[in-house]
Amino acid sequence: MSLFLHYLSMPYLLEGIELTLEVTALGLGGGLILGLILAGMQLSRFWGLAAVARAYTVIFRGTPLILQMVFAYDALPHIGIKLPAVLAAGLALACNEAPFIAEMLRAGVLGVDRGQVTAGQALGMTPRILMWRVIAPQAIRTMIPAFGNEAVSALKNSSLASVVAVQELTLRSTQLASSTFDFFSIFFASGLLYLVLTFAISIIQLFVEWLLDLDRTKGRQRKFADYLPWRRVDIDTKIEPASATVAEPAPAELPDTPPLALTREERTRRAVTIARNNIAVETKDLTKSYGPQKVLGGLDLTVRVGEVVALLGPSGSGKSTLLRCINHLESWDGGTVHVGGRRLGFDDNGKLLSPRAIANERATVGVGMVFQQFNLFAHLSAKENIAGPLRWVHGMTRIDADRRATELLGRVGLTHRADALPRHLSGGQQQRVAIARALAPNPSVLLLDEPTSALDPELVNEVLEVIRRLAIDDGLTMIISTHQIRFADEVADRVAFLSGGAIIEEGPAHEVLSNPRNPLTARFLSVMEADKTPEAVG
Amino acid sequence: METRILPQTWGMSRALPWRKLALGAAIAFGLVAAAPLRAQAAAPAACAALQDKYPDWKGKTLVNAINPHTPGYETIDPKDPSKYIGFDIDLGEAIGECLGFKLTYKAVTFAALLTTLAAGQADIVISDIYATKERAKAADFITYSKVFDGVLVAKGNPKGINGINMSMCGAAAAENTGYVEVPLIQALMPECKKAGKPEPTVQLYDNNANCIQAILAGRADTYVNDVNTVDSAVKAYPDKLEKATAVTIPYSVGIAVPKDKPKFRDAVMAALIEVQKAGTHMELLKKHGLDVGNFKEPDILTAD
Repeated sequence: MSLFLHYLSMPYLLEGIELTLEVTALGLGGGLILGLILAGMQLSRFWGLAAVARAYTVIFRGTPLILQMVFAYDALPHIGIKLPAVLAAGLALACNEAPFIAEMLRAGVLGVDRGQVTAGQALGMTPRILMWRVIAPQAIRTMIPAFGNEAVSALKNSSLASVVAVQELTLRSTQLASSTFDFFSIFFASGLLYLVLTFAISIIQLFVEWLLDLDRTKGRQRKFADYLPWRRVDIDTKIEPASATVAEPAPAELPDTPPLALTREERTRRAVTIARNNIAVETKDLTKSYGPQKVLGGLDLTVRVGEVVALLGPSGSGKSTLLRCINHLESWDGGTVHVGGRRLGFDDNGKLLSPRAIANERATVGVGMVFQQFNLFAHLSAKENIAGPLRWVHGMTRIDADRRATELLGRVGLTHRADALPRHLSGGQQQRVAIARALAPNPSVLLLDEPTSALDPELVNEVLEVIRRLAIDDGLTMIISTHQIRFADEVADRVAFLSGGAIIEEGPAHEVLSNPRNPLTARFLSVMEADKTPEAVG
Repeated sequence: METRILPQTWGMSRALPWRKLALGAAIAFGLVAAAPLRAQAAAPAACAALQDKYPDWKGKTLVNAINPHTPGYETIDPKDPSKYIGFDIDLGEAIGECLGFKLTYKAVTFAALLTTLAAGQADIVISDIYATKERAKAADFITYSKVFDGVLVAKGNPKGINGINMSMCGAAAAENTGYVEVPLIQALMPECKKAGKPEPTVQLYDNNANCIQAILAGRADTYVNDVNTVDSAVKAYPDKLEKATAVTIPYSVGIAVPKDKPKFRDAVMAALIEVQKAGTHMELLKKHGLDVGNFKEPDILTAD
């Protein structure tokens, strides 16, 4: 025991820790840089880069670290690169860590909900802003435990540097054992020293998890102690058991006005005005197939400024694809799309623009989009979901963006939930925030893709109410795909019935809905009529 | 190639700023403490003449790659682990003193000694390494010591092993990776088989301590190595280990130098002769408790 304590406190071994940490730091730091590059290459649009990164991963993940150490130390000098031992070991460790870290990064990035990425694109975020503001903050949070793992593993792997004469802890221990024959006391002592180091990494990991916890920063108190393993706090759910369902005066908060159904005369007057307006959106002979399956078959649609068009039709009829083509979230095979007179996503010669240029154009032309699954940025508060894109895409100051966000939250009746995270909001509240977010940059057209289909029946009305106001009070140009026949009847100026990727019937909403001429339209409407909960239809 | 002097590059890399962080390494590597109790320096006049004849290394600091797991020859100093002690250490410094260079040490595994030298990560290897024709393909040797091996076994020699011979059939031998004893034991395999006996097995380890632990743990039956190493193991565990016998191995111990530096090889050889003439070699053997019968006048061994 006294021998053990003697070795435990021996400066010679303690100094070895310094080199152990040096090699580990070089390995992790270098591995992170290399890993970022590798992950970027693998996620890149250019297959050549991805192939190179894949080949690197196969080689460096597939060969033992000890060989890589010896290579960096003994083989590189033959081509004129003579690194000092610590650097050679650090380089080998970095090269070895890189593919593992790259895979972690890639998993983190791919793990971020695709819907949020689409929503970011629709808001006009360039790939860089998307990565920096939406993907990275969420990916990093999910990657911390894996990073902790990787750090511990790198620390232990640094002991292999002993084969290339780095005087780190393990090499010092074996040398000491050879000269004193106190084999076990020495190895217990050095084992304990390693444990202290890995324990310190665990503490750092827990601390960072606590630091980045969204619920901590959003005013919910959670102590660091809650993260210690013996505390059984359910980190995801327990802290806010009631807030999502808290009795809140949401619909009541929407300013009370008389019912907004238009009279027949008002409708006629509106139709006359709209007919004189400019064209807002125009698609001509739009075709698109997913492999052998045709989604859009020569679709023509013209929407005028101030017009509200409801797209009806069974699932798979091409409604969503049409909307996604309008703001170029998807490409198509043939035909043209004009928004505000411009071919969104193409330059003057009709050449396809880069993702970054398309993003910028989306922001300038102003096509807002609301999704079935809300697609709020999960790491941002309701207010920040609205204000963030205004700052990042439209260059607003923080003060202006916050003012605009507060104003819009007021309009959708959610001022009191400004600081809540999306996961603490009900579905209806989330969709209202999503609408506010889409409206924030004053889009010229708002596309709504089945905005109520993912909502519980009792939450549908609060969202429809908000959309109704936009149509009637604000005169916003909107294209809504929906299964809500009655809502379409009340709000839309025109309905277009899609089947098999083409419009088979269109006309003034009330006319088509009460007097369908196409038998397919008639059958669809009667089915929807019979179904008591049409909003549940996907 | 003579003009590309390695110590300079090493010296430059040591001056890089990041290196300053590596305090621990500096302590371990940058240690050139004069060997304590140096018996007697080689004749100053003869050495001065050598320094005139071979001026390239005067005032330089060279790197000596060692496998510091061989008590008596090279280990860290248990009293001050930042230093290396042993016969080879003292001999190398006596040679260095004669030629006017100092030595720093780089501890590597035994199997990595010659690769480290060949990669230019070290300038010289003085680490109880046996000079064989096979190894001379990787480095030139200046031999300086005869080889006597001891056979280390568990107390009482339960398997009755008495050398690298048929008594080893069926036994498990612990050896260091790269040791010359390994092929000698492997050569027994067909012979044992022919005699209808089980073949011996070889377990390869990284250093002496692990080989000795293998016997203590009952994993191996024997460990054949330099007799002084075996003796110090027995001294450390007198109740558990014993030396079965000593065997003669047809090799000499040598100082390894890079193949592409014949001038350096000649300088080291000349200095070694002076060190021996001054009686220093013999005194160092006595100082470290080694058998004076190991003494050998230097020869050069190359691949061709």
